[in-house]
Amino acid sequence: MPIIHKFDYLKPKSLSEALTVLAQSKNAAILAGGTDLVDMIKENVAQPDLVVDIKGLDELNQIKFENDTLFIGAGATFSDLIESKIIKEKYPVIFEVAKTVASVGIRNRATVVGNICSAVPCMDSGPLLIAYDATVQLAGQKGERKIPAAEWFIAPRKTALQKGEIVTGVSLPYPKVKHAGCWVKLGRYTGEDLAQVNLLILALSDGTFRISFGAVVPIPVRAKKIEKLLNGQTITPSLIEKAKQLIEEEIKPITDVRATKEYRIHMAKVMFERGLDAAIRRLNGNGQAYGTSMI
Amino acid sequence: MEENKYIGKSTVRIDGKAKVSGAAEFIDDLDFGPDLLYAAIVESKFAHAIINKIDTSEAENIPGVVKIVTGKDFPFRFGLYMHDRFIFAQDRVRFVGEQIGAVIARDAATALKAAKLVRVDYTELPAILNVEQALAKDANLIHPELRHYKHVPWFFPKSDTNIAHLRKVRKGDVEKAFKESDFIFEDTYTVPRYAHCAIEVHGAVGLYDNSDRLTVWTASQSPYTQRNLFAEALAPLGLSHKDIRVITPFIGGGFGGKAGVSMEILGAALATAVKGRPVKVLWSRAQEFYNTYQRQGLTARIKVGLKKDGTIIAMDNILNWDAGAYVEYGANVVNAAGLSASGPYNIPNVSIDSVCVYTNLPPGGPYRGFGYSEFLFGLESHLNEIAKKMKIDPIQLRRKNAIREGDILNYGGKMNANGLIEAIDKVEKEIEWGKKETSSDPNKAIGKGIALFWKAPAMPPNASSSAFLKFNEDGSINILISGMEIGQGLLTVMAQIAAEVLTVPPEKIRVETPDTDRNPYEWQTVGSHVTWGCGRAVESAAIDAREQIFDIVERALGKDRKSLYLENESVKSKTDNNFSLKLCDFIIAGIQKPDGSYRGGPILGRGMFMPEFTSALSDPETSQGGHPNVHYTVGASAVKIEVDKQTGKVKIPKVVLAVDVGKALNPDLINGQITGGLLQGIATVLYEDMRFNNKGKLINPNFTDYKIPTSMDIPDEIVPIIIEVPQPDGPSGARGVGEHTMIPCAPMIANAVDDALGIRIKSMPITAEKIALSVKHS
Amino acid sequence: MRQEIKFKLSGEAIALEVNPNEVLLEVLRDRLGAKSPKCGCDKGDCGTCTVMINGKTVRSCLVLAIEVDGQEVVTLEGLMDSGLTPLQKSFIEHNSFQCGFCAPGMILSATELLAKNQKPNKHEIQEALSGNLCRCTGYTPIIDAIEAITK
Ligand code: FES
Ligand code: FES
Repeated sequence: MPIIHKFDYLKPKSLSEALTVLAQSKNAAILAGGTDLVDMIKENVAQPDLVVDIKGLDELNQIKFENDTLFIGAGATFSDLIESKIIKEKYPVIFEVAKTVASVGIRNRATVVGNICSAVPCMDSGPLLIAYDATVQLAGQKGERKIPAAEWFIAPRKTALQKGEIVTGVSLPYPKVKHAGCWVKLGRYTGEDLAQVNLLILALSDGTFRISFGAVVPIPVRAKKIEKLLNGQTITPSLIEKAKQLIEEEIKPITDVRATKEYRIHMAKVMFERGLDAAIRRLNGNGQAYGTSMI
Repeated sequence: MEENKYIGKSTVRIDGKAKVSGAAEFIDDLDFGPDLLYAAIVESKFAHAIINKIDTSEAENIPGVVKIVTGKDFPFRFGLYMHDRFIFAQDRVRFVGEQIGAVIARDAATALKAAKLVRVDYTELPAILNVEQALAKDANLIHPELRHYKHVPWFFPKSDTNIAHLRKVRKGDVEKAFKESDFIFEDTYTVPRYAHCAIEVHGAVGLYDNSDRLTVWTASQSPYTQRNLFAEALAPLGLSHKDIRVITPFIGGGFGGKAGVSMEILGAALATAVKGRPVKVLWSRAQEFYNTYQRQGLTARIKVGLKKDGTIIAMDNILNWDAGAYVEYGANVVNAAGLSASGPYNIPNVSIDSVCVYTNLPPGGPYRGFGYSEFLFGLESHLNEIAKKMKIDPIQLRRKNAIREGDILNYGGKMNANGLIEAIDKVEKEIEWGKKETSSDPNKAIGKGIALFWKAPAMPPNASSSAFLKFNEDGSINILISGMEIGQGLLTVMAQIAAEVLTVPPEKIRVETPDTDRNPYEWQTVGSHVTWGCGRAVESAAIDAREQIFDIVERALGKDRKSLYLENESVKSKTDNNFSLKLCDFIIAGIQKPDGSYRGGPILGRGMFMPEFTSALSDPETSQGGHPNVHYTVGASAVKIEVDKQTGKVKIPKVVLAVDVGKALNPDLINGQITGGLLQGIATVLYEDMRFNNKGKLINPNFTDYKIPTSMDIPDEIVPIIIEVPQPDGPSGARGVGEHTMIPCAPMIANAVDDALGIRIKSMPITAEKIALSVKHS
Repeated sequence: MRQEIKFKLSGEAIALEVNPNEVLLEVLRDRLGAKSPKCGCDKGDCGTCTVMINGKTVRSCLVLAIEVDGQEVVTLEGLMDSGLTPLQKSFIEHNSFQCGFCAPGMILSATELLAKNQKPNKHEIQEALSGNLCRCTGYTPIIDAIEAITK
């Protein structure tokens, strides 16, 4: 099917050029991997007058680790994350997340930043970013802006992005202490699927936890009550039971074509229990390799 | 018997190079030049509504629009077995997505844009979305004119109801047998609708040229049936069969979905509206889901009566099929399933009502398995439940009742020779039946399941095949048939059959896809019957060619033809060891006589086949009488699953399938059918599922939410077992196998889930969600 | 606004005017005659439209043609400079196709895998192919074909 909608296309050579054209256009869309945008234009969900391709902006294509912070540029694809040495070494759970995003042909194009700009509830990057207390970095004509990931998501498909702004990347500060993580994603089968429940757990060596859910909430959330319950405690079966009871307070699942609310709640609990166990084991050096599915 | 040289060998596919190099052309790959027009379809928003008015004026004003047509331009009924469809909806729409009109334009984007601007004014009618509503006493009629529809003599529509066809089977005395039964078990099982999901969508290009010749290129399993239906439907325009030509390039998967005539009629009809220019209709993936044939839904009430020793003496099944808005093909699925819904068992007293019910959902139709997968889900699940309650081993129960050669079929005929018991034995051994296994993971349970299967091709009694075989100067051969290569390897097997007769190796034989102007008749490539039917035609064409060869040698050289035989592409003589004449030396050029003249001429073999022993005439109240089925292919399959009690997720460490193919003409290709069919079947039970909203709209018409298996979703180990109890009337004893490998999957997994967890799930699909929640609630 | 793009298509230098809303898959097939990438879903779900851009497989149904300005695009046609590759031959040997509609995309995905990883294990092969749907073969023969040439 051809695209019916007509638009202009520009591939700026510098960020400032990109910002200038963005400021001038009425309804521009930013194109990185295009895996969401092109589909949305085909379906007439997006009708931009101008498509600004940022793949020419080299400064946005990088993944780098500086000042104890990981920067993932807006052009970095999920395949880039999977291949990145620094990620495998310092943030292996990012590798684990990226491996579950769609399939190779999509991962070679799709970006983390694109994922959080589309901001559909089942996105995989959201729980990751909020668990790492990441910040979203924006550039606009008035300068740069940094927003905590938790404030970035406003509602399904709605973010804090303002007109004329470009997300240049996301920064994930390395936790102060040693940590390990586990990503658990529920799909209908082993092959690629949009998540029905997403869960990211970080276990830190200071005895604290960071737990975030996606797909069972309109926007990704940190499970603060559960974190509070677990932090500093010895993890016992009865504590886990208590934590599981809190899950229903943390999430707001719906029933749709992919799963019922009941199954999502049930699975959120199963995933939590297994993910927590896996994260702790990994922290202790006796966990399963990253990339192994816990469900 | 002499050793075969080509039959029974895993010859490499003759279409391999074309397919792995990208050279193979599919419908959308053909070029039609700059004159090609594109059509976009105006579709119904409602599941059931009266069309009051169609306003095309706005669309007509779009530059690039060439023509807009609607139902009034084509007020012609058509259908394969029953004329219940129109090319475009007339006064009434009966499912969401039904075609109301088409916009033909210079380019696809313009056509799509303009189609959105066609305004249709409807009066919505109550939609009937399931069989219960359709069969309710005062249900609205979806086809008030049903009584007037033309149909084949073996259909029995019930006027003034939503029952398009009722197949009744009555054998023995069921009532008495239930009275005599020691145990009676009754239950209801349900199966939703499924989509074929061939990776290539449907498409058709029509050209009605200025000499009044209509050529239609289609992605189809049925070029001749299409030509016939196009000619019937368009006869009012003055078209006849000889004026219509259907060309079918390679197709990207069929599975029954590209049988008969669905959207292809649009390619034919629209061409007549823009004479002189080719026009293309290509389905989107969404249209592929909601406006081609779908596998019908089924609610099956099954009742079985047994003696204490496990002998089944009575069966009473009521199968209510959600057949959709039009049943011109789907009603024959209902028919075929009805005749065989007692499964591969010898049961003396049987009553079956197989009911074809109109609903306001998309048209049902043929899908690999043709109704058998659906009823066997219930029947084979139910037998396990019975075995459990009677404390009999489920395999024992099956073995005891399994049908054997000569047993009386539901319509009174006799069961063909078969290796069902052998299949059961081999599968039982391979899956290590009886060996209880436990998982090292406390969250997981291991279970085993078995199911038997059978299926006969469902075809009209006079469905026939034919073949031409032409020699070339160098002794190579072109075979012309209209059986379709739908992936199964037909071209290769036909080459092997001819190779065996003519001693010409398959790599020197070319078999191409059909063109009805050039290739002789074939009914359709469906029902797993072409290897058998078309194979017989090719075999007889090869024999015909061989006889012509001997004839020439006899006439030209005076050799006694009884002494002649073929070997290594040469004619040899049993009485003269020194005689050897290469085929390439004379099959075109002829044989020169001493006087310089020649004898011979191009060798051109001709073959045809019709199963002359079949008949569809029978008593409508009992189905006794005729001989509707040519033969049944049978087998058994077993699986070992590992199921996670918490998540409900099922993994398949091992699956075994044994099928009696009569004779394996090409074992690798049969293994291909087993591997592919099993996965397709496993997917229907574990996650595939068409979901409609309460307005009758399909809500998952895409691979995002209609999940078909990926390379990550395959069983760890597949063991194919080929059994060969020859089919006397098959080519070298072969019978069909294409559909059968999918049929046992659903009940075998349901049985394995029950074995693992003690949970019986009676509605497909058996998703992880259903399993987990059942465990939770149990 | 129509723009000229220059790119390499399977080694050949191409200069072409395109509209920004033209999709790469359609330009390759309809304007440049490279028919091995196919349209199975048009929304990134099936992988039949797979081509390589700069050595990486992408879904050409989700790429605008204008994006490949200055890039190297390779379709299945471009792999066969010296006849069928060992992988393609292995596909024939193992009956790794039935209808063949998925084969071009499948072969490109496998080619990308083998370029990165000469000795993939079965799981890695399965992962690499998981975006290419095949309805016919059940995948096992495809995995076999790849395993056979890496042994
Ligand atoms: S056509 Fe591009 S992924 Fe299906
Ligand atoms: S061979 Fe038919 S889709 Fe793969």
